[in-house]
Amino acid sequence: MDFAFSSDQQLLKNSARAFLDEHVKPAQVRLLWDDGRGESEALWKEMAQLGWLGLALPEDAGGSALGLVETAILQEELGRAACPSPYLPTVLAAMAIDRFGTPAQKHRWLPAVAAGSARATVALMERALDWGPASVETHAEERGGKVALSGVKQFVPWAHVADVILVPARRGGSTVVYAVEAGAPGVAVTPLTGMDPGTRLAQVRLDGAAVAAEAALPAEAYDFLLQRGAVGAAAEMLGAARRCLDMSVEYAKVREQFGQPIGSFQAIRHKCADMLLDVENSHAAVYYAAWALASGADDGALAASVAKAYVNDAARKVCGDAIQVHGGIGFTWEYDLHLYFKRAKALEPLYGDAEHHRELIVRRVAR
Amino acid sequence: MDLNLSPEDRAFRDQTRAWFQRNVPRTELRTLDERRAWHRTMYEAGYVGMGWPKECGGRGATPMQQAIAADEMARANAPAPINGLGVGFIGPTIIIHGTAAQKERYLKKILTAEEMWCQLYSEPNSGSDLASLRTRAEATGDHFRVDGQKIWTSGGHIADWGILLARTDPAVPKHKGISCFLFNMRQPGVEVRPLKQITGSSEFNEVFMTGARAEKSDLIGRLGQGWEIAQTTLGFERGGNSMARVTRYASAFDRLVDAAKKIERGGRPLLEDPVVRAKLGRAYAEMEVQRYAALRVLSALQKGDSPGAASSITKLSYSEFEKRYYELCLEILGPYGQVTDGGLEETTLDVDSSSGVRSSWAYAFLWARAGTIYSGSSEIQKNVIGERVLGLPKEIRADRVTGGVQRGATPPSAKG
Repeated sequence: MDFAFSSDQQLLKNSARAFLDEHVKPAQVRLLWDDGRGESEALWKEMAQLGWLGLALPEDAGGSALGLVETAILQEELGRAACPSPYLPTVLAAMAIDRFGTPAQKHRWLPAVAAGSARATVALMERALDWGPASVETHAEERGGKVALSGVKQFVPWAHVADVILVPARRGGSTVVYAVEAGAPGVAVTPLTGMDPGTRLAQVRLDGAAVAAEAALPAEAYDFLLQRGAVGAAAEMLGAARRCLDMSVEYAKVREQFGQPIGSFQAIRHKCADMLLDVENSHAAVYYAAWALASGADDGALAASVAKAYVNDAARKVCGDAIQVHGGIGFTWEYDLHLYFKRAKALEPLYGDAEHHRELIVRRVAR
Repeated sequence: MDLNLSPEDRAFRDQTRAWFQRNVPRTELRTLDERRAWHRTMYEAGYVGMGWPKECGGRGATPMQQAIAADEMARANAPAPINGLGVGFIGPTIIIHGTAAQKERYLKKILTAEEMWCQLYSEPNSGSDLASLRTRAEATGDHFRVDGQKIWTSGGHIADWGILLARTDPAVPKHKGISCFLFNMRQPGVEVRPLKQITGSSEFNEVFMTGARAEKSDLIGRLGQGWEIAQTTLGFERGGNSMARVTRYASAFDRLVDAAKKIERGGRPLLEDPVVRAKLGRAYAEMEVQRYAALRVLSALQKGDSPGAASSITKLSYSEFEKRYYELCLEILGPYGQVTDGGLEETTLDVDSSSGVRSSWAYAFLWARAGTIYSGSSEIQKNVIGERVLGLPKEIRADRVTGGVQRGATPPSAKG
């Protein structure tokens, strides 16, 4: 048994850290915040060249056939940089197509994602604000060998730049998942402005959007998306939280009040120790869940819910405490702390909020 | 990263599980003699002092095997072995710092629990500031004369021996004037008084030493090396056995769910109440995170990494969790959670608290308050984490400025 990263995994982490430190500095993040599209084509292409976009995709699609632990490593680093990018929803959708898609769907999307020429997303939420498949109202209607989808999807990450959207919809008694081309007739995307401009969201309205009837991914694709999305979001939140902890500790060493560094005061030091505890526990939760899902362990789904439920709270607390440790400077727009604070917060309600995952946990363990 | 057990560890787990299923006592062990007999059975099967080197009577087991055995013991609801301080901390201290004669004299009887041990560290005025301790050990010819008072001595009332920290040189800075002894509890001049705790029970004691003897041959390490030795001992203690602890929490969770099915509120079982479900989900998530974190620590130990100051993170994490956990359990159970006698069968089921005592929810709830105080309070752990893990600047402390305890000086805390 070994909980530590392998040397290859550590290398991936180090090289991602080095790349993002150089190419996604806070100044670049702020430029993208002000950008209408919110992400950078050049950066996306570089991610493709680094092999990040195809990391978990098969080699014949141009990927590296690595797993969820490696993906989580990158997601943590992207969160640490508060990198504005549709990385999470794109690789999530691609993993689902790889697992459940038809050969034609795989051929159509996987090489394009790996090469950086396509982006994808996942439309899990509707009016009911419930993350369960039973709450899906979007429905599929057979029309002349094709299927027409109608419904409204809310808070869809990065839908305005996506080429393909995975859309859960009712068909008969079950909820299946359709791959919908974003440019197809009957698909309207309305971007929203949110608190974290590095996590773009949009409403997606489907008005008889046509897809091939055989294009549905099976019902289990829904849980797959929610579980892996939850772990990916938790990994990003972990990265944001660790960045906030590191910044706080550095600041507490140099900021002086009453003639001493504030880190020598127990009020500050104890807060930093609590932050470290939350960050280390979050690390254990994220990577345990990534490993359990990747290896097909019995408790993979449970661990994904544990990770999201735990890290949601932990990351919010750590990033918030970082502002408190910094005092007034932490509340200014020019200081970078709020980049990470907002990233962690933006991911809280996505891919299942803590309440939903706690309920999933109870359903699994209290029968 | 690979969290699967190796084939050898899986085989060891299966074999251990089968052994405990066959051998776990069917009736409650009431007397010390009955518990000692069970301890002896486990010892003979090789489940006591597993991590000790073979030449000292152990089996040189890996940290993983030790964790597996402790976990299986918890899973089988087996009574804990006795002499936990002796086997867990004091024996290893003798193995690391003791003389050949000391090893020969003491180790075997620790393993067999033929001699029971306690730890004589804390004093009424030296809790978190342990290094300010004032119990004196004065060299007089062939032995040391020991005078002073210890407190929070767990198992002191049944101990034959104790590991003692006492001041042998009051003239040097406080951390440098302390020595460590193996101390005979069965002698004139030693009085043990049980301390009744908020649980109503008495796991802890006060120990009064008046003109008591510590033999020169029972000094551990060098004169003045006591503080350094105590750090190793406390390190063992803080590393803890987190896997088995989480297994106990998990069995308490199952009992909680049983109770939540049985108890009704507003005409439906608690388990169907969304507020209760949210609380259960939170408790379970936190508990699982403790398990994942324990696996991570175990994996580092397995590779031979010494956790060092990072063991403070583990101790802080589980002890604070345990408090929140039983608070939540009692919140869910409402008044039933506080019943110690006469309630529904489901709500008075035995719960294994981390003290190893099987008792009520109320007991587990109360006992959880001890965890964030003993073996270095949460505040002390946070100081250690802040200074030694995060590298934050040391606080300015009066004792560091003046550099020691002056003879006859009264520490500020003693002035009331």
